[in-house]
Amino acid sequence: MDTQGDKTDPQLQQFIEIESQKQRFQQLVHQMTEVCWEKCMDKPGPKLDSRTEVCFINCVERFIDTSQFILNRLEQTQRTRGSFSETIAD
Amino acid sequence: HRLLYLFIYFYKTDPQLQQFIEIESQKQRFQQLVHQMTEVCWEKCMDKPGPKLDSRTEVCFINCVERFIDTSQFILNRLEQTQRTRGSFSETIAD
Repeated sequence: MDTQGDKTDPQLQQFIEIESQKQRFQQLVHQMTEVCWEKCMDKPGPKLDSRTEVCFINCVERFIDTSQFILNRLEQTQRTRGSFSETIAD
Repeated sequence: HRLLYLFIYFYKTDPQLQQFIEIESQKQRFQQLVHQMTEVCWEKCMDKPGPKLDSRTEVCFINCVERFIDTSQFILNRLEQTQRTRGSFSETIAD
């Protein structure tokens, strides 16, 4: 990252790392809220009923499973097809 | 990266700058929330748009805002719980 590594403040680096992690997590919460709202919420009522909550729980778990599945699949495809990345339009 | 480090240095040492950024970030987050909720609740509550907002739609909007906040909190709690159970799953989530 920095060719003059000795001059980079490790505390600063750690601060950036932690803040980046926090932000990624926040974005994940944001994305999942939107995605699971779409899949699980019918007409909004006076409270969250248990059927909707169960759907939310399944949604979070399945979304993580899906992300892992896609990642594995992509890695597999990359190994099989070789440099397929040029065929994917930027 | 030098500019970033410089900025972060000032951020950490200048409380006025910190407060300014905190307030501006809050304003921006709030604006984004309004934008997102308008879209989401329009989708759930609006049938065919008529000559005015009828009370049934308004009630739906009220429920929608409340339930969306509930949902956001629910998902947050669930994710934190899942993170503790599954360990470092965050690397599997594409950046």
